[in-house]
Amino acid sequence: MVDRHGILWVIATLFISMLPQLLSMPPHLTLITLLPIGWRLLAEFRNWKPMPMTLRITATAIAVGVLVVTYGGLMGRRAAVSMLVLMLSLKLLETFRIRDARVITSLSLFLCATQFLFSQGIPMIFYIIACMLSSLIALMYLHRAEAFSMLGEAPETDRNLLTELGFGAGLMALALPIGMALFLLFPRWGSPLWGLPEDALDARSGLSDSMTPGSIQSLFMDDSPAFRAKFEGGMPSNSDLYWRGPVLTSFDGNSWKASYLSRNLRAETRPELKTAPFRYVVQMEPTEQKWLFALDYPAMVPSKTKLTMDYQLITLRPVTSLREYVMASDPSFKDNPVLRQTLLREALELPDEFNPRTVEMMSTWRSEANSDSEIIQRALQYFNRQQFRYTLNPPLLSQHTVDEFLFDTRAGFCEHYASAFTVMMRMAGIPARVVTGYQGGHYNNVGSYVLVRQSDAHAWSEVWVRGSGWTRIDPTAAVAPERVEQGAVESIDQRRYMLDFQWLRSARNTFDLFQRGWNNWVVTFGSERQSRLLSIFGWDMPGPAKLVFVLVVIILVIGAIIFMLAPILLKFRSSKKSDPFVQLWKKFTRKLERAGFVTTPSMAAMELATKAGSQLKHNQDVILRIAELYTICRYSRDPGNQAELTDLINRFQPRSSS
Amino acid sequence: MATVVAPAIHSIRDTLTSWIKKRVRAKRGPMTPPFVLEYRHIFVLPTKFGWGFGVMLVFMALGGLNFNNNMALILVFLLATIAQLTTLIAYRNLSGLKLETIHCEPVFCGDDAHFQVFVSNQDARQRFAIQAGFKQAQDCRDLKLNCHDSFMLTQPTLKRGWFDMSSFRLETRFPLGLFKAWAWIFPQTRCLVYPEPARRAPPLPNTGHGQTGRAVKGDGDEVHGLRKYQAGDSIQRVAWRASARHDELYSLEMEIPREEACELDWDLLKGGEVEARLSVLTAWVIAADHKQLVYSLKLPGTLVPAGTGAEHRSRCLESLALYLL
Repeated sequence: MVDRHGILWVIATLFISMLPQLLSMPPHLTLITLLPIGWRLLAEFRNWKPMPMTLRITATAIAVGVLVVTYGGLMGRRAAVSMLVLMLSLKLLETFRIRDARVITSLSLFLCATQFLFSQGIPMIFYIIACMLSSLIALMYLHRAEAFSMLGEAPETDRNLLTELGFGAGLMALALPIGMALFLLFPRWGSPLWGLPEDALDARSGLSDSMTPGSIQSLFMDDSPAFRAKFEGGMPSNSDLYWRGPVLTSFDGNSWKASYLSRNLRAETRPELKTAPFRYVVQMEPTEQKWLFALDYPAMVPSKTKLTMDYQLITLRPVTSLREYVMASDPSFKDNPVLRQTLLREALELPDEFNPRTVEMMSTWRSEANSDSEIIQRALQYFNRQQFRYTLNPPLLSQHTVDEFLFDTRAGFCEHYASAFTVMMRMAGIPARVVTGYQGGHYNNVGSYVLVRQSDAHAWSEVWVRGSGWTRIDPTAAVAPERVEQGAVESIDQRRYMLDFQWLRSARNTFDLFQRGWNNWVVTFGSERQSRLLSIFGWDMPGPAKLVFVLVVIILVIGAIIFMLAPILLKFRSSKKSDPFVQLWKKFTRKLERAGFVTTPSMAAMELATKAGSQLKHNQDVILRIAELYTICRYSRDPGNQAELTDLINRFQPRSSS
Repeated sequence: MATVVAPAIHSIRDTLTSWIKKRVRAKRGPMTPPFVLEYRHIFVLPTKFGWGFGVMLVFMALGGLNFNNNMALILVFLLATIAQLTTLIAYRNLSGLKLETIHCEPVFCGDDAHFQVFVSNQDARQRFAIQAGFKQAQDCRDLKLNCHDSFMLTQPTLKRGWFDMSSFRLETRFPLGLFKAWAWIFPQTRCLVYPEPARRAPPLPNTGHGQTGRAVKGDGDEVHGLRKYQAGDSIQRVAWRASARHDELYSLEMEIPREEACELDWDLLKGGEVEARLSVLTAWVIAADHKQLVYSLKLPGTLVPAGTGAEHRSRCLESLALYLL
């Protein structure tokens, strides 16, 4: 049977390890998961018996039913982990034996590991420490309960929260050096044996393959990092940081979508790697999407990725974990100076009977203009000179979105400008398309890298000009040049949410340094980085066998050191407070000493009493009685006489016989 | 399936264990207390829970490696290192423990032999949850710094004579129960097993030769002292005055000078097997001792002269236990 201390720590371990999962579950499932824990706690304090089997099975059936209905099945990572959490929690209903308690503790650690599929951020360090500490303490108490099971209950040790935590922390501290050596040297797999299910994350984030009014605006509210880029050598100015993402060609009057051709045709040419002026490493946060981001125009294609003919980088599988890739870009590259007829036609297509007012205006412009570039300039001037506003809360648009935007509301976000501009160009017969991605980013001085957040999401246009190919035109810059110079968040004069302060944002940007370091050294550490690290020590491409050999040597060395340090670090001492009788006895001997009797620690109780009695004749009876009671209490472990002993010693006033 | 496999596994394990024990014993030679447990005495292996935990860690590591999930790998590596570390801790928990002596009182056949294993912790570190037992742990102790303690081990006895204490284990699974460290102890302690007293022994023979024995408590005319009233005491014997002073009833204990003595002779028991006769004699010795008679014991070839008291009793019982062995 598990004792109270053991079960409380087991429950603590389970609760801590399921905490992140509880927070991300729907509230009713969280409640269902917490119920068995509550029952078990009550059972512990009220000495309830284990729940009858039929009741347990019923509870399990109901809980699983609710879970399946909630998630629509057990497929998917969240549902599977929720199932694990629920089962562990329900297991508590029958956990009264040591074996079950150990199963729960071990599986809590397993649960802890599954949580890292969802997040590997810095806060998870505290989570991992808490889980391990509490599980170690739980296992220690379970071991004690087991070892002393034949005697009934384990004897008390000097247990308080501090010594318990000290025990766990001591073990962890001792394990840290070897753990780190294992982490650095344990052979990693270059490629996975089996893939992660595509819905590993809770939701897709970032840009997608369509753009409707409001879609980028919702990203604007999101301050989570999209990616970080560290440049080797020179770096473009902030207003040239256009991170190319999904390219959208087909328009249905309301939303922009990627076309089949643009996603599937591969690029025939790409910039020369040798002459590409910008080289950088991108560390991209998982998005569950297939786009990788690069500055115009990518000169490299990362592995398992294709470069489409409109220069999107599309991966074969969605990015489900932090991904790092090396990239080079050449902004002066000519994008398709010659365009195929089908593609040209696609870039001019518009739905019929939409936006009649714009059609009319554009036909006037066309007739008045001598060249395409004149029309482009005129459109930009139009945005710039008319009273257009760059705003977070544009009025809603109905059917003729472009008409309403251009002539009525004249307030919009980047997506409105990009969309309207592209439609205008197409109406004037100039091939145009919408490009979405990110613009700008925060340059972190300390880490010298660019942090791009989701709120940096942007949309712009590209027009095709004969001879020079696709050319980037950013109509938003014509309305609000500060958008591309300072970034979207800084250029809008309103707070996005209650706690959206400038100082908070800049503090967060600075502290992102730690997150990046963590990502660099821990999260993305793999076989590649492992060999890079080892090559610093002049050790190129060691095979797994060699790695394991070195690992064993290192572990033996560290192990020997730890073996010597263990007694210092693992202080799990016995009670420093001796039992109450010893303390009473000490009080008694102090009183004797004050009366002039010299005691030595080696004296046994009766011996001391006889000597003291012969010296202090007046108190002889009392002294002998105290010694007798003390002997009975202390050695027969019978506290029945404690009250009398305490009383006698407290009232004892020795009179010196002299 | 399990019913077929489990006994097979058990028998394999038992064979293996006895083979290992034989080898260990041959290598170490007899270990007579007092001696200190050293590294060559101590073995460390995972427990059942330890194996299970290890399998779980392997699965976690596979997942972590597959998804290159480094936080999961850190967790696995730390846990594996801690698990490995506990082998050292378990070993340290046991090594340096001093086995002082093993004490054992004679028992009657059929009773359990009680072996008290005295150990001492002479180091300035506490030892936790040290278990002792033959196959299964029977006793467990925390040993504080510089302390003496003892484990109580019991084994059933089946026949009279010297009973050799089996080899036993001092074991610890501290701190997490993942590994067990143990040392085989091959004691040379033996327990004297007296014959089992006959259940229905004939009454004591009254063949005294008139020696005067010590006064014996019982029905008599002289007052011996006071004792607490027991059911069955005659109401005339109740010491009313003394009882009134306390809150309990006291009765007078009387004594009679015993004049009889008896001779417990093997030849009195005609017929019957050796063991049965020994059983009856054992019962007589107990009865005679209980009645505080002066008695002597005569076995073919052995004579314990008349006497009384605990020492005399043990001498008689010992000669009965070792008769013809």
